[in-house]
Amino acid sequence: MLISCNKLKSYIKNSQEIDWLNIWNTFTIRTAEVEDVKKVGDQIDNIVVAQIKECKKHPDSDHLHVLKVDCGEKELIQVVCGAPNVRIGLKTAYIKVGGHIDGVEIKSRPLRGILSNGMCCSGKELGISDNHDGIIELPEDAPVGMDIKEYLPINDIIVEIDNKSLTNRPDLWGHYGIAREIAAITDHELLSLEVSEIKNDKKNLQITIKDSQLCYRYTGLKVDNLKNNKTPLDMQIFLYYVGMRSISLFVDLTNYLMLELGQPMHAFDSRVVKEIEVGLANDQDTYTTLDGVTRKLSKDMLMIKNGDKYFGIAGVMGGLDSEILSDTDSIFLESANFNAGSIRKTAVALGLRTEASARYEKALDPNMTDIAIKRLVYLLKCENPNLVIASNLTDIYPNRLEEGHISLHKNLLDIYMGKSLKETKVKTILEKLGFKVEVLSETYEVTVPTYRATKDIKIEQDLIEEIARIYGLENFEAKPLKLDLTILEHETIYNQEYEIKYLLASKYDMHEVNSYIWYDSEMLKKLGVHKNGVKLLGKSENNVLRDDLSFSLMNIVDFNFKNYESFKIFEIGTIIKNNSNKRVLSIILADDEKSIEDNYMKAKDIVKYIFKIFKNKNVQFSNNVNEKEYYDVNLGKVIYVDNMKIGEINVLNKLMTNKLGKKKTIVCIDIDFDKYVKLETQAKTAREVSKYPIVSLDYTIILPDKVKYDTLKDILDEFKSNLINSYYLLGTYKNKYTIRYVLGSNNKTLEQKDLQSFKERFIEHIKNNGLNIIE
Amino acid sequence: MEKELENLITNLKEELKKCTKEADILNVKSKYVGKKSRITEILSSLKNMSIEDKRKYGSLINNTKNDMELIIDNAIEKLESKTNIVFDDTIEFDVSTGSLHPVTIVAKEVTDCLKKMGFTVVSGPEMETEYYNFEALNVPKDHPARDMQDTYYLDNGMLLRTQTSDNQIRGMENYGAPLRICAPGRTFRNEDLDANHENTFFQIEGMVIDENISIENLMYVMQELLKEIFKTDLKVRLRPGFFPFTEPSYEMDMSCVICGGKGCPTCKNGGWIELIGCGMVHPNVLRAGGVDPKKYTGFAFGIGLTRLAMMKYKINDIRVLNSGDIRYLKNFDIK
Repeated sequence: MLISCNKLKSYIKNSQEIDWLNIWNTFTIRTAEVEDVKKVGDQIDNIVVAQIKECKKHPDSDHLHVLKVDCGEKELIQVVCGAPNVRIGLKTAYIKVGGHIDGVEIKSRPLRGILSNGMCCSGKELGISDNHDGIIELPEDAPVGMDIKEYLPINDIIVEIDNKSLTNRPDLWGHYGIAREIAAITDHELLSLEVSEIKNDKKNLQITIKDSQLCYRYTGLKVDNLKNNKTPLDMQIFLYYVGMRSISLFVDLTNYLMLELGQPMHAFDSRVVKEIEVGLANDQDTYTTLDGVTRKLSKDMLMIKNGDKYFGIAGVMGGLDSEILSDTDSIFLESANFNAGSIRKTAVALGLRTEASARYEKALDPNMTDIAIKRLVYLLKCENPNLVIASNLTDIYPNRLEEGHISLHKNLLDIYMGKSLKETKVKTILEKLGFKVEVLSETYEVTVPTYRATKDIKIEQDLIEEIARIYGLENFEAKPLKLDLTILEHETIYNQEYEIKYLLASKYDMHEVNSYIWYDSEMLKKLGVHKNGVKLLGKSENNVLRDDLSFSLMNIVDFNFKNYESFKIFEIGTIIKNNSNKRVLSIILADDEKSIEDNYMKAKDIVKYIFKIFKNKNVQFSNNVNEKEYYDVNLGKVIYVDNMKIGEINVLNKLMTNKLGKKKTIVCIDIDFDKYVKLETQAKTAREVSKYPIVSLDYTIILPDKVKYDTLKDILDEFKSNLINSYYLLGTYKNKYTIRYVLGSNNKTLEQKDLQSFKERFIEHIKNNGLNIIE
Repeated sequence: MEKELENLITNLKEELKKCTKEADILNVKSKYVGKKSRITEILSSLKNMSIEDKRKYGSLINNTKNDMELIIDNAIEKLESKTNIVFDDTIEFDVSTGSLHPVTIVAKEVTDCLKKMGFTVVSGPEMETEYYNFEALNVPKDHPARDMQDTYYLDNGMLLRTQTSDNQIRGMENYGAPLRICAPGRTFRNEDLDANHENTFFQIEGMVIDENISIENLMYVMQELLKEIFKTDLKVRLRPGFFPFTEPSYEMDMSCVICGGKGCPTCKNGGWIELIGCGMVHPNVLRAGGVDPKKYTGFAFGIGLTRLAMMKYKINDIRVLNSGDIRYLKNFDIK
């Protein structure tokens, strides 16, 4: 929202004492965020009010005129001008030679052979409108020779306030509310607005509110004997500076009131108004709004109706047929108040957020509708001194909003503030903001003005906020929490996640990625996979939540193949399975096809390593019968720990892999992290270490075709001997598997005969199991 | 005697010169200083000498033996450094390193700092119920935050949480008061993507509930956090904000690190970055969590971790964070 400081100044007594350029830093930390503060009008100088005294056609041009203008100096000045509206007697703005517009210096120069000294300016050149159709036309009483910046409020400071930070401050959606806030911050007096009191000695207008839960108040007034004159220049400049276009006096005044008080208003042509009714629309009806767009209505939308026809969408936008025409001499003023939620829903449903709806949805004070009309009449009178009030100020207000009342407990205030404020200080702060305060022994009894009572200030804490911000957040001391030596660790999941992430990045050189919780639709399409999971409402792309973390990372894999032959990535993320959240660790090894074995083995190693070092658990793998069509049927492994399934190793099948990269292999590990977190770390106990030396014996065993290591392992496990410290697979060459046995005894150094007998028993065991051993 | 000892050393040196292998030297060694060597013989004859001779030759003989051993060791060393240089010791290969996601790194820094202040880390689900995401947090049914345009609603009646504040309620329910928790996590808002907007981003929630918790306590924790994370004196400002779940509510801004506060697209030309939303826990929220607002007060805060990571690493396009682009992720270290 844009704010004009000139306007604010007019509401505050002794406003010249305020530093209008710098007050906004304070405003930001006291009230609401200011996004921009900029001076306007300082890009022009040496421009004065001038009058055209002579006007002749330029002999060598069909559109230029040669003027003699009086700018208050002894002699008339010759100016060549291209504007179509030049005429003798016109008062306009003239920039002298040496003056500046937008920082560019104006010089004397010949135009088609005739010297032009300076120039006459359009509204656009003055920076006060978008109008560049002709030179600006000043009123007849404009004093010739006066600096234009003295004559018109061109110099101003325009402030942009972040709308979002005004969400809970309905009172700040107009200049007057902002002025009230500035006055409170700077300790100045807020002036009251000048209004025209209206005598209710005429007839009431026909106004009915059908639904008093949605329309809280509707105030109307008919005014006759009007002329829709030109809007005064200073108001035009104000409107332009705060981002609105000047249209006509009546429309401009309603806009002005909205910008001043925050109260949206409407002026209808009285000739078309019959009787006003506020009620809901019929489902499926259509209605054409002021902007010419025909919109579909629904039964939840509140409408202004005239007779039996729609007249406007309440609080959002008027209708095309309610527009003021140029010959209108009587207007019907509407100043109403609606339910904030209803207006917001209507605006959102129609995709039509207007200045009015933006204000209404903040919950405006219903007690300002009549003030707004009285103020508008006051301003209208300045331009139409002979106006006639043609009706009573008709006010339908079924449930009057009264001032709020809150007992603020002093001890609660002290707790929140962390200190005790003087009673007079608290009282002053609240009173400056418009609250009334009565100080009792335990409480402050606070009366909340209605402009803060609609939704903003309801409970004690709301008042504490007011006190704290005006007291000044920068005046608080940061105080540490009081000492509490309780050791607490409610959950370990975060630490466990971090320690695995750190391991994977540091030991295995992997890169951690974060991806989306939904499948990438394009990737699913590319791979020809259909996923049927929980869906996002109202979205047609990327709308299925992932139920397989590794598979959801395939678009990241695909992308990185563009730059890397091989890479390793991981993520700990959420998937949605069986309608619930599941945490999963997923690791992806992407490499060339020929290194599939290496990567597959590596995947198993990584899994074993993780469980070994963090949980001190051994892992078992069993073959996975893969129900997911995109993984290789033969190469899957299920990971078991303590006989509990805790994860899988999969290889993306060849068909899918080929779609991501030629001759690639993609190995995926998924570990159920919820189960992982709950898995207790196996306690470690010290095992006695023999003081006698150990001996290693290597045996190479030849496996027949199609027999795998797991068969050999079972056979080896069956072989028992007291001497065995451990055994492990040392290496393989084709179908030859070399096993290393580490032997030792706690009682003695092993002798040759011990080893010999071990060897003989072992060879026999192997042979008994039908395997060959290289002796 | 002196002459003989001298000769021994001279001969040893001569023979060592001819050695090319370590084994040769070891042979020489056993010949000159071994058990059966001349010097050992002389040494053992020392005990039969007269006291006078012992005085005269004792140390000389010993020194000679030591010298000879030293000479042999030197010869081995020389030999070793000559024969073993058979590789190019100037070769350097690239050391490949992995990386943690920048958000993980800053989350760690933040949680570490909070842990020092007695917070414990908890977590909540990304797919949430309306109750935990809105209702219990004092966000009424017709509040704009509930609109479809901001919130991802799901066809199972749940939603993707729009903030980590669900942890406030879950934390109170699970652990009661007093409470000091923080909860890093992922959040979702239905936004169009551009350099500054993501629909998926990280926050960290914090909550303290105890007797007599004040706004000043809140300020302390916020200040210490920022100091710890950025290690420099940052310009920060606290200003009134509005969140339904806190009252009073505040926003803490930091001066934009990317442009130094001059104004750039990341800070929308304002020079300030909204980083932390915080405030005193609304009594309705305490009640929803089963905590008596008459007995306890508390504060809560939410920090944009994604935003923080962008500031810390001067990342000017938010989209790279969820891209999984390794070229980009390689910029980050393991910490």
